[in-house]
Amino acid sequence: MLEALDRARLVVVTGKGGTGKTTVAAGLAVAAAGRGRRVLVAEVEGRQGLAGLFGREALDHREARVADGVSALAVDPDESLREYLERFGFGPLARLLSWAHLNRFITAAAPGLGDVLLVGKVWEASTRDGPRGRPAYDLVVLDAPPTGRVVPFLRAPETVAELARVGPIRGQADRVRDLLDDPGRTAVVLTCLPEELPVTETLEGVAALRGAGLPVGGVVANRVTGDRLGGRAGRLAALGRDPAPLAEAAAKAGAELDHGALATLVGEARDRQRQVARERRLLKELRAGLDGLPVVELPFLAGGVGGPDEVRALAAHLVPDPGDARPAGRARRAAGATRG
Amino acid sequence: MTATRTRLRRTAPSSPLGDLARTARIIVCCGSGGVGKTSTAAAVALWAAEAGRRTCVLTIDPARRLAQALGLDLLANSPHPVRLDGLGNGPGSLDAMMLDMRRTFDEVIERYARDPDQADRILANRFYQRLSSTLAGTQEYMAMEKLYELHESQRYDLLVVDTPPTRSALDFLDAPDNLNELLDARAFRLLIAPAQRIGRGYLRGLNLATTAMTKMVRRVTGSELLAEVGEFFAAFEGMYDGFKERAGLVYDQLKHPSTAFVVVATPEGPALREAAYLAGRLAADRMPLGALVVNRIHRAGSVPRVPAAARAKLAAAGADGRLLADLLELHDSLETLAAAEQRRVRDLLETVPNLGVVQVPLLPDDVHDVAGLRRLGGHLFA
Repeated sequence: MLEALDRARLVVVTGKGGTGKTTVAAGLAVAAAGRGRRVLVAEVEGRQGLAGLFGREALDHREARVADGVSALAVDPDESLREYLERFGFGPLARLLSWAHLNRFITAAAPGLGDVLLVGKVWEASTRDGPRGRPAYDLVVLDAPPTGRVVPFLRAPETVAELARVGPIRGQADRVRDLLDDPGRTAVVLTCLPEELPVTETLEGVAALRGAGLPVGGVVANRVTGDRLGGRAGRLAALGRDPAPLAEAAAKAGAELDHGALATLVGEARDRQRQVARERRLLKELRAGLDGLPVVELPFLAGGVGGPDEVRALAAHLVPDPGDARPAGRARRAAGATRG
Repeated sequence: MTATRTRLRRTAPSSPLGDLARTARIIVCCGSGGVGKTSTAAAVALWAAEAGRRTCVLTIDPARRLAQALGLDLLANSPHPVRLDGLGNGPGSLDAMMLDMRRTFDEVIERYARDPDQADRILANRFYQRLSSTLAGTQEYMAMEKLYELHESQRYDLLVVDTPPTRSALDFLDAPDNLNELLDARAFRLLIAPAQRIGRGYLRGLNLATTAMTKMVRRVTGSELLAEVGEFFAAFEGMYDGFKERAGLVYDQLKHPSTAFVVVATPEGPALREAAYLAGRLAADRMPLGALVVNRIHRAGSVPRVPAAARAKLAAAGADGRLLADLLELHDSLETLAAAEQRRVRDLLETVPNLGVVQVPLLPDDVHDVAGLRRLGGHLFA
């Protein structure tokens, strides 16, 4: 799908709360690493959502290798402030005061500075040089705040810089803006669910991001119900009225299923089909509203997304040709095993 | 509260929400994003209105979800009646409003300013404008401020409020303190004032540091910012005490037994973890925790086990046989899912003793109108 996985230097993942932003960010990181890129995935909301997905207890402010080709980082606002002050030569002073004091003061003097520091840290990681003149990472995936907050978050450096027309904050804000506004280097990906309100919010979110001049790379529709009964709706409806043929098949195979049990099974299947039909309709509306932006669907996993196996399974759905990379091949088998 | 709830649960299997919607003055719905908080808040409010109470539901969500849920095109920063069929001449009514945070903040400034001139100076200040729209927690605090204003007006028997899905869903508890600390010009002056204006003795060490701090902030942010900040605090002079007193009253009202917090979740890991954290945090602040609502629960019907040998035969026995084999597999995955959800809900309840729980099944349609809210209410209050 996402051309961005092969090309972008920074992928910003946002979406309505509860649509699986963190999971998709982890999946995108693993998918890109599977295509040979060196990836850093970073979360900024202090929820420690990434750690479990990579089988870790917790992540901290230091970048840590969590999978083949993937490092992860939980950006800590306090630590970012510390680094920021060190960089500008205020380390000794910062150590003199309590952090609580300092934080309160900085927050009072420049609201939004917290976001500036978080965005700044991500910018720093994605532009940092590594050994032999190569960048430290080919791609940084940012698990960003939800749709409603993402534009002010990404534009925080601008906002604060408006108040400070000169000085280091202004300089950094300009460089961050150059990266974020460049469709050649940055892509914002929105996560969505095949439900009414998330679809509406995704369309609003895309409009808001575009309105702010941020490059939108695509949408990931998460938790899409599998359609294993496709094409047999008519037969199911008939069996709902008269389950006798099913009873006959059951009896022949030695399965002890009375009419009540068969009615339950048919009822569950028809609920499932209604669900699938509704999701199809909503995804069609989503695509229609997105005007050609790529939409990738991820399957609903009945067991939930608890760790690295499921993340690999989802990553396999995010890459254009899942056959060509080893992790993706492994993931496909895992997807077959766990898909609900 | 706890004793009453436990007794109710033993004698009547009715929903813990029924009691809350009939007696509470304020219900605060909280939980992570995307769990159905807005719909739950609206359905609770609708049920209370139909039970005869004058009810108002407030939402903070910028995506105008409540507007959609209630079929309204626009919600202003003041309550707006929702037309309902079937309320007849009963005493109940339902109003709805969507909070405009910035406008609420402006209203607060206007209320506490000495005179219109002071209010104008603050409202025109660029630091204030940034503060009122960007400071984390401000939105949550303004929601509580508006809630308190409506509560004080006594226009309603019940207020139901939907909290925003924030970085930390608990910001609204901290917000009054954060805002107070920030607006406390005395604390600010201590940090920013020239050394000679502050006393002697033990403060001297701090002084040296804070004077250097001032220089640092000037260097990092540019001096115009500090000038704006200084003007803001000068304009704010004299308003702080009123503001602080008000924040204290809001906080006390949230703690009052006539308030109930309803934690909303879905049976997925992250949403339940957030709910557990939230319940723990509310308990730590001694906030009245009313109930847990778990939306979108999957349920599987009862079907006897079919052994693998019989399944293999089915799969090899014509179209209907294959279909039946697929139906069984589908049922298995539904059962797995339902069992995993129940396990996760039980795990959560172990961490929060005596919490009344309402489980709402996954509904076949999204809730986007009054009829949908009534159907949801049917499950919430069953």
